[in-house]
Amino acid sequence: MELGQMQGRLAEYTRSLYMEGILDAQFLQLQQLQDESNPDFVVEVVSLFFEDSEKLLNDIARALDQQSVDFKRVDAHVHQLKGSSASVGAQRVKDACVAFRNCCEEQNVEGCLRCLQQVKQEHYLVKNKLETLFRLEQQIVAAGGSVPMAEMTF
Amino acid sequence: MELHRDFADTQQKQKQHFHVLAVDDSLIERKLLERLLAESSCKVTCVDSGDKALEYLSLLDSQEIEYSADLSSSPPSAQEEAGYMKVNLIMTDYSMPGMSGYDLLKRVKMQGSSWKDIPVVVMSSENVPSRISMCMEEGAEEFLLKPLQLSDLKKLQPHLLKSLVHPTEDISTSNDHGSDDNKIHDITTLNDSDNVLVSERKVMSPEPLERRPKINGLLVV
Repeated sequence: MELGQMQGRLAEYTRSLYMEGILDAQFLQLQQLQDESNPDFVVEVVSLFFEDSEKLLNDIARALDQQSVDFKRVDAHVHQLKGSSASVGAQRVKDACVAFRNCCEEQNVEGCLRCLQQVKQEHYLVKNKLETLFRLEQQIVAAGGSVPMAEMTF
Repeated sequence: MELHRDFADTQQKQKQHFHVLAVDDSLIERKLLERLLAESSCKVTCVDSGDKALEYLSLLDSQEIEYSADLSSSPPSAQEEAGYMKVNLIMTDYSMPGMSGYDLLKRVKMQGSSWKDIPVVVMSSENVPSRISMCMEEGAEEFLLKPLQLSDLKKLQPHLLKSLVHPTEDISTSNDHGSDDNKIHDITTLNDSDNVLVSERKVMSPEPLERRPKINGLLVV
């Protein structure tokens, strides 16, 4: 595939992620903070996010597995996850966390377990999508091209 | 008197860096904040708790005492090399385990506190009006909603400028940084702690500043 085609494919793919609400404007902000002095900024932040979030998801699962569930603790973890997903632009993960916090308030274990499933699903989805995005970017760079700055034109 | 022209001029003449102390328990938030502040040509010190923030401020105080005797004789570049630079602004997350951002704010603004003139900005991912008024009443300069944007940083400029326009004795000495101007300094750690990061970035090019009236008050979205 030639360079122009690859760049077109990347642009289209990125656009779809925004259209599907998987990413929001915050991700765009991250991309805008990437420059020659910070060439890997987005990948770095996103990697930190996935490290952090995987740990949080495990902590949440463990907390829900207890005989007597500490809902405050679960809520604290979800709050953290909500914050970090908002900061990287992982909109659907963030929204799933908002719903999760409502379940925590209701102190409903079953409800929380369902919410956890939902968060995990969205998390898995955005992880795969971003891995694909970064791969497409790498291919372009490897072919000697540059990754065009994303724009919100829709 | 154009605020932004004074800012740019002062920056050029004195080659000041604004030193921001960023307090947040989240690594991702610290990384983001550090990058955003670097975009505004600020030197950033990141700590992961209110306790560490107070520790750092005390450390600077004791360094100031150490250096004050030599201030008139030692060049400002030596001060900067030694890593000593007064904090011009504290930016803290509200919800943190242990000491909250609110607790930190209260401590800094306490009667008799040597830090009470340092502007404090509180950040939160939650838009809770009572929380916001509580912080403003306690003396916070601004309350910013996360995730922060570059445009939010512009709101901070008046607060940073305040400390330049009314310099204390350690800033008013002439700063001649000579050939160091465009070097990016190494990142050093403080107190052997992995959670304290001191990074310094020099101005690469003057920041284009918008003409904007001084903005005070709350940001409530």
